[in-house]
Amino acid sequence: MALFGRRNVLLVLLAVALVLPAVANSYQLYIGNLVLIYTLLAIGMNLLLGFAGQLAFANAAMFGIGAYGTGLLQVHFGLPFAIAFPAGALIAAAVGLAISFPALRLSGLYLALSTLAFAQFTQWIFLHWEGVTFGAGGFKTPQISFDPLPVSKPVGLYYLSLLVAVALYIFARNLVASRVGRAFVAVRDGEVAAQSLGVDLLRTKALAFGISGFYAGVAGGLYSQALNYVSPEGYDLFQIVLHKAMIVVGGMGSVAGSLLGAGIIIIVLELLRAVKGAQEIVFGGILLVFVLFLRGGLISVIQRYVKGWDEPLHAAPPRRDEPPPLAVPATPVAERAAP
Amino acid sequence: MTAPALRVEGVSVGFGGVRVLEGVDLDVKPGEIRGLIGPNGAGKTTLLNVICGIHRPDAGRVLLDGVPITGKKPSSIAQLGLGRTFQTSQLFRGMTVLENLMAGLYRRTTTNVLAAGLNLRSHREEEERTEEAARKALEFVGMAQFADRPGTALSFGQQRVVEIARTLISEPRVVLLDEPAVGLSLNRLAEFDALLRRIRDEKGVALILIEHVIRLVMDVCDRVTVLSSGRRIAEGVPDEVRNDRQVIEAYLGKELRARHS
Repeated sequence: MALFGRRNVLLVLLAVALVLPAVANSYQLYIGNLVLIYTLLAIGMNLLLGFAGQLAFANAAMFGIGAYGTGLLQVHFGLPFAIAFPAGALIAAAVGLAISFPALRLSGLYLALSTLAFAQFTQWIFLHWEGVTFGAGGFKTPQISFDPLPVSKPVGLYYLSLLVAVALYIFARNLVASRVGRAFVAVRDGEVAAQSLGVDLLRTKALAFGISGFYAGVAGGLYSQALNYVSPEGYDLFQIVLHKAMIVVGGMGSVAGSLLGAGIIIIVLELLRAVKGAQEIVFGGILLVFVLFLRGGLISVIQRYVKGWDEPLHAAPPRRDEPPPLAVPATPVAERAAP
Repeated sequence: MTAPALRVEGVSVGFGGVRVLEGVDLDVKPGEIRGLIGPNGAGKTTLLNVICGIHRPDAGRVLLDGVPITGKKPSSIAQLGLGRTFQTSQLFRGMTVLENLMAGLYRRTTTNVLAAGLNLRSHREEEERTEEAARKALEFVGMAQFADRPGTALSFGQQRVVEIARTLISEPRVVLLDEPAVGLSLNRLAEFDALLRRIRDEKGVALILIEHVIRLVMDVCDRVTVLSSGRRIAEGVPDEVRNDRQVIEAYLGKELRARHS
């Protein structure tokens, strides 16, 4: 086992994450929490876009539905967070499944546009269904406490995020290495061939949508508590840009890449918060570099240069500009004809 | 008389007024290699697409092992035991050769999302069996040394062989091979010929071979069906078909005359 093998690196990261509350101030802890939440969002986006190949933009909507679901179940029905949180995530998953059925008759740009429209529609609901969502001003979520555990709320929340993120990271890791994950990649790489092996396209895509929605919904529930506040602009189209940027930087079709991408984007954005205008410029610059020169994301670089990083990469290799195999010169028909 | 593994009854297909297939019948026995030939535009690929559920026929029906499959989704038909390969390479680009083979076992495996995500024992055991079967299947076609390469790193001919292995691994009853020998050199052709015979003899699967490489068809097929302009104009053992006047006129004529003049 190489020193910088994937398992070792991840274990070190986990150890750092575990001791963070002991050494970090409350702002740093909040950033740590944010990284965990965005890791969930990036994994969800990667399962849908990187693995199953569905160019959909509903992730921000699911994120919002998870946050609003969790928050509103507490506010309107007085449910405890322990129930409202998983319920909010399940609502997001259910909505993900539900929109997948009309959406999945479409593909490519049409799927992108229809899911974008759905994201805008949820924004509209958050803004205008004031009786339920409290409109543009948003609402404060009830304070939760981690009694009887001897931790303050931010620390408790951070550890909750960590627990959930680690569990769902492992879940995703297992999933993509299974027949379900292979079905995702098969649908992405060749729908007709996937069908010829017995893979049901609609079912598989719907599954990817549902799981992706669940991840975003979980992230939403955690985010609502991290901010203590839910309002529409937290879940607008910029979120989609952010999630997409994370998986492009980290690596499409890689679960570990989702973690890396989320961590890097969040930390870079926070470091630049003080410098006016720098955030946008650096963010744009990073995206340009990765789109132009590092299509496989950071994970492809790590895979190439770090020994023992034995990640099964599931990103499709970029197409070379060569004629399709059929155009390979075949033996002239006359030579092959029966004697 | 053995019951047919695949039966096509009076299938007709038209695209916008153009008749592509006109009342085509076809009976293929288990363990038979059937050649399907005909000039360009004869309707071979359309017939194949009707069988595997991509096109719905205007008339007629298709039975797989006696079960009507007309109108079912391609994935459902595949689930019932119909495999196919394509004119162009359709290996999954993001998977290794071994993973491609494992994907071929999709219809024979049952792990669901939760069992997979939670890495339950049932999933781990199934995964082990899947990998073992995939390695065996690669050995069968002599590609075991390429297991961990990405599929796209193989030569075109090798990709075709892997694709055939991916289809065979789930033990289908009938496999449709759409021009599997395109682009193969003459040496590779002989190997391919042997592979097809080995598949028939050891797997007992019925193969339907659409091919323009006439030598392969005449060498390897038990029977040959000839389509021309959407109709079946001849059927029989290769020698009968080769000497059928209608066939020579419709299709082989030009080439044979060219060879013999």
